[in-house]
Amino acid sequence: MNTTFKATWAQCKAELIRTIRNRRFVFFSVIMPVALFYVFASTVGDDVTVGNTSWPTYYLMSMTVYGVIGASLTTFAQRISRERVQGWTRLLRITPLPSWSYVLSKVVAQGVINVAIVLFVFIVGGLGKHIDLPASVWVESGLWIWIGGFAFMALGTLIGAMRNPDAVQVLALIVYMSLSILGGLWFPTSSMSGFMQEIAKITPTYRLGQGAWNLIAGETLDWAGIGILAAYAIVFILLSAYIMKKQDAV
Amino acid sequence: MKAAIQLERVTKTFKGKKAVDDLSLTVEPGTVLALLGPNGAGKTTTISLILGLQQPTSGTVKLLGDDPRSPKVRDRIGAMLQEISVIDNLKVGETIQLFRSYYARSLPLEQLLLISGLEKEKDKMATALSGGQQRRLGFAMAAAGDPDIIFLDEPTVGMDVTSRQLFWDTIRAMAARGKTVVLTTHYLEEADQLADRIVVIDRGQVIADGTPSEIKAGTTGRIISFTAGAGVTDAALRRLPGVTDTEWNGRRVKLYSGDTDRLIFTLVENRIDMRDIEIQSGGLEAAFQALVQPAKEA
Repeated sequence: MNTTFKATWAQCKAELIRTIRNRRFVFFSVIMPVALFYVFASTVGDDVTVGNTSWPTYYLMSMTVYGVIGASLTTFAQRISRERVQGWTRLLRITPLPSWSYVLSKVVAQGVINVAIVLFVFIVGGLGKHIDLPASVWVESGLWIWIGGFAFMALGTLIGAMRNPDAVQVLALIVYMSLSILGGLWFPTSSMSGFMQEIAKITPTYRLGQGAWNLIAGETLDWAGIGILAAYAIVFILLSAYIMKKQDAV
Repeated sequence: MKAAIQLERVTKTFKGKKAVDDLSLTVEPGTVLALLGPNGAGKTTTISLILGLQQPTSGTVKLLGDDPRSPKVRDRIGAMLQEISVIDNLKVGETIQLFRSYYARSLPLEQLLLISGLEKEKDKMATALSGGQQRRLGFAMAAAGDPDIIFLDEPTVGMDVTSRQLFWDTIRAMAARGKTVVLTTHYLEEADQLADRIVVIDRGQVIADGTPSEIKAGTTGRIISFTAGAGVTDAALRRLPGVTDTEWNGRRVKLYSGDTDRLIFTLVENRIDMRDIEIQSGGLEAAFQALVQPAKEA
């Protein structure tokens, strides 16, 4: 048990180091959301409002969500696929490391990464644009984005279940971009047509954003939103577990 | 003492085809065992079954007297699989440290770098290594937990002569410490140099089992070659008792025989027209060819 703990800890650390060293991750999940925030917060203007929140505050939440889901969909998914195809997971099956420890380490490391992304975007964006929110709202919205982010790890795992890492990279990027646009992370859903707004409501991205937007507008979380996001997470987990089991069965 | 590896009547069927066919094998601790066989003979499947990566269709596999999948067993084995596998964004030293953390007792990092010859590459990214270096890293990972049984599937493919020599020395040192080593190889010289037991597998079955000298002696290990006169025909030679095979190269002919001493008298008695006679003992290569060839033609 002591060895397992030591191994799980080492595994977590290794996953963290690998993510931070990954340039693709740093670009997509850290630099891009902050850059997009500055570009669009400035061009649209500080006095524009969405509902009853100021545009920069609204957009800061959108971009934090965008960064967190990007980390799970791009680097996370591709790494899962590559490790399985290249025989790394097969090699681990011969070691005493339990398979739950491998999965747990990945989730924990990504969880830590997501905390860092939320903090980074909040601090750089919030300070830079002088966004004024009560401390409790900062904490609540950050916590909500972080917890909701786990649903996207499940989606990343599902995409990563595909056996071709190059195809995973393309598919992940398509899913990432289309879900971000459809879910109103790039442009608020209120600027969309009625039909597109209906589509947005069924996306997990909108539901994750919605919680944060509600919180900064002084409202509460929407139970329907939580339910939809949780349902997505469960479906993603079950599907990926099923597919991987089927592929591994010999 | 418990057997290190025990396979009892193991069969593995893939889509109706038997990759491993009723194979039984017991390996005592401290053995250096070489598994030989042509491509597709079932070597890699056999290793996968022993490691518990695949489950036999019938029969039982025991490692150190236990199920290969039990954590207790896994703590005491190490393996270098055929496909090279390194992960991105980790350095050589970090990758080895990660593997060390999996085991209850592990060899020191410095020693693992030394035996894999990767001391200078410690701070390089694992993915930046050459193919041969990646295989050596694989070996360091396999040895990380100071295993009692180490499996090496085609370990020296892509290694240069110096690395191979270092590798052989390491294997010998492990064997001297009472470790069990199982290796598959294409290089017969490697099997001859390292193994104290050779098991030849073909079509999923054990077709020969013994020390390298037994394997060499037990098969058509000896050859008489000579330049044949114009009147000598292949059919005439094949009719002679004791000739198991012939091989022609122009007028130069090689006769394979289990007993070359007797054959040379037979040749003289039959007044075969011969010049420049040579008698040589065939190496493991010849023995291997002789073992595998008939099975293929059958």
